[in-house]
Amino acid sequence: MIEVRNLTRRFGPLVAVDGISFELAAGEVVGFLGPNGAGKTTTMRILTGFLPATSAERLLVAGFDVLRRSLDVRRRIGYLPESVPLYGELRVREMMTFQGRLHGLSRSVLRERIPKVLERVGVLDRERQLIGALSRGLRQRVGLAVALLPEPQVLILDEPTSGLDPLQRREVRELIRSLAEEHTVLLSSHILAEVESVCERVIVIHEGRLVADGSRADLEQRLGGRGHVRFEAVVGHDVPGAIALLESLPGVQRVRETGRVGIHHGFDVFGAGDLREDVGALASARGWAVRELSWRRATLEELFARLVLGGERPTPPTEAAPARAPDARTGVALEVAGAAPPLGTPSSKPVVYSLNPFDRGATRDLGKPMRLHGEEAAREEAPRE
Amino acid sequence: MSGTWTIYRREVAGLFFSPLAWILLLVALFLNGVFFTFVYLAGAAGDVTLAFDLTLGGSWVFWLFLVLLPPVLAMRMLAEESRTGSLEFLLTAPVTDVAVVLGKFLAATTFLALLWSSVLVYGLAIARAGVDPDWGGVLGGFLGAVLASALFVSICLFASSLTDTPLLAVFFGFVATLGWLMVPVLAGRMMVEARTLLAGLIGDVQGAEEWIRRGVYTMDVVSHAQQSFLRGILDTSELVFFATWTAFFLFLTTRSLEARRWR
Repeated sequence: MIEVRNLTRRFGPLVAVDGISFELAAGEVVGFLGPNGAGKTTTMRILTGFLPATSAERLLVAGFDVLRRSLDVRRRIGYLPESVPLYGELRVREMMTFQGRLHGLSRSVLRERIPKVLERVGVLDRERQLIGALSRGLRQRVGLAVALLPEPQVLILDEPTSGLDPLQRREVRELIRSLAEEHTVLLSSHILAEVESVCERVIVIHEGRLVADGSRADLEQRLGGRGHVRFEAVVGHDVPGAIALLESLPGVQRVRETGRVGIHHGFDVFGAGDLREDVGALASARGWAVRELSWRRATLEELFARLVLGGERPTPPTEAAPARAPDARTGVALEVAGAAPPLGTPSSKPVVYSLNPFDRGATRDLGKPMRLHGEEAAREEAPRE
Repeated sequence: MSGTWTIYRREVAGLFFSPLAWILLLVALFLNGVFFTFVYLAGAAGDVTLAFDLTLGGSWVFWLFLVLLPPVLAMRMLAEESRTGSLEFLLTAPVTDVAVVLGKFLAATTFLALLWSSVLVYGLAIARAGVDPDWGGVLGGFLGAVLASALFVSICLFASSLTDTPLLAVFFGFVATLGWLMVPVLAGRMMVEARTLLAGLIGDVQGAEEWIRRGVYTMDVVSHAQQSFLRGILDTSELVFFATWTAFFLFLTTRSLEARRWR
């Protein structure tokens, strides 16, 4: 439906779009991602024929060359620019009629189709209202209705949810998802959660260059950011020791300490696959009081940051990682020198810690009841572990 | 060309949905009426034809209207639309740039034609009062006024296409229309001043002056509007004069719209 090969656009010395190539098959919903100023809007404007390309090997929309058969292309696209340009002095219905006439739709077709489209985007009850008096969210929907009216093959939506509140955003997202059945949709956004929830495929551009193109799974694969285990527990004072233990679990590649909240220490455990069971087994073996143990999928945001900022790229998984600790299913028997008591034997000292995050690591014996404030001063703290 | 018609209809509607058109119309009609009744009619000492001549192009007031109104009308049509982004909507709709420009041009011209049509009402009123005006002159004058308005609108549309700041568009339009009107006056003035200089440089002062005068005449709106239309004569050469210049500026406007895509 859309075919772009080697598209470049310069504004004077500034290269806004630099040799981008991609293709959209019919019926695809593709998210166009990039930070502000990455060249999203420019690319979309070129596709709609509003701006010409500086150079392009191939630029087809709905089977027509954008530059040579501009009118044929424009008849087949619905374009919603970021600013949602609608005539404020017109009523919703009048604006729809205007768009219909521009597309050469007959009066009878319009009479039948306008209520249908307005119904679909949920503004049928605003039909007679002045566009200038509509809220941002409603304007956005009317803009969408205007773009949908000629039943275009290709929908190009530039930041369709910008400036909306979270509820409206969800509604628009659902609307776009429902459109996917009939139209090929290219939508841009810098909000990744949105693209994540709507689009099968993501094209990421940065500084005019295409940095990634593929499904979410592809992106994850390529970037190696498959997710990690989030682990938060009371590990006592020997944090490096705890990290060493975690790292010794089979399959773990890297453990990152994310700091401490009160008496809890947080760790991100990176490795091959979901290692929650192993970490959990280790925690129970060590008697660590666990606050959180969860599997975190890499969000598109993280992938994006990694792409754009060229941030940390995890090393490719090494199969021959020396397994220093046995697998969780076979039981954890820890052999790390002297640090851990054998599995099953309760530790000799009582587990002692403070639940109050503000007393900076003060400890308390879990076996005894909580002391009241008055008593606290009198009786001194239980010994630290 | 159905696109032109669609855009024309929207532009006319847009004009009259905004208070601007009504204010302009009110002020212009009021001033025009006051001038006609209390200045022209009174000054012409009963010569109704002269009074109509003055209203439709014979006085500086008429030309002042043409310098002031078209820039304001044209400002909203391209500069403001470009600023609000609705130009992006129009230029990605399945209509040609020419249709967009023509639609807007016709809408603004219609507005001014409506203004000048008030003079026809004066004519009817005077005919009812018992004095038949020279209808040929009045209708011809009306046509001339509309053609001159069309030319000035096209100049201002071009000015409006150059910028996306409405105020700047008004200023450009104002300078352009005023300059266009002043060309013959300034040229005449300069020719007087430069005569001695020319005499020193080239021998054939007469020939050079004639050449300049003819060149200036091809731009002289005032004489072209006054020469035949006000006398009730439809001179095709005058029609061609207005049509050519108007088409030229409309052409420049479409080119400028196209060029704005390349900027």
